[in-house]
Amino acid sequence: MAKRPPITNRVKELREAHGQMSQAALGEAIGVTRQTVIAIEQGRYSPSLESAFRISRLFGVGLEDVFGWAEDAG
Amino acid sequence: MSFHEKSAWVMGAVLLAGAIFYFKTVTEMSAAMGEIAPPVLPLVVAYIIAIIVLSIIGHVLIAITKPSEADDTMDERDRIIASRAGSFSGVLLGIGVLSGLGGYLMNYDGNQLFHIAFGAMMIASLGEYASKIWHYRRGV
Repeated sequence: MAKRPPITNRVKELREAHGQMSQAALGEAIGVTRQTVIAIEQGRYSPSLESAFRISRLFGVGLEDVFGWAEDAG
Repeated sequence: MSFHEKSAWVMGAVLLAGAIFYFKTVTEMSAAMGEIAPPVLPLVVAYIIAIIVLSIIGHVLIAITKPSEADDTMDERDRIIASRAGSFSGVLLGIGVLSGLGGYLMNYDGNQLFHIAFGAMMIASLGEYASKIWHYRRGV
């Protein structure tokens, strides 16, 4: 199994700051299931570029305000 | 757990039960005959019907436990997982069928070829669902 890329995200933080939006509501807004939102928040799945843009636009922030690259992991 | 992951668990369990039933029967028949038993149509039909019926029952049960997710369409993560699992399954099927063909070249036993090919199909399907579960649990 390929090593998972060191991508971090603030999806949970932004979702909770966005009026305590539920995982199901976020999933519905960006076109994925609640389980996929959970996997993204837990770092078990890195979303497609399209979904990443949808998330950042939904929260009104830039892509790099949502997703980051863990520097120490290379 | 998503509907697709539950579905993978159900199908894995059903296929495992089916494989045990099929090969237990073939082993018993072979032991009674003193050679590898020929493929028997009623056994294959019984296996297929059992798989279909049990998978329908299993899916109805998981749909009842969470009706809101029962009509869940595949999203991007589901599609990636299905693609990887399908690829893994294809490799297993290829290895199994080639093994069966190799065995046939050695001893020209058509019965053995059938059972190995049929078994490879079962193992490939089991591998597909196991791979799906692995990816759902461990991440993509």
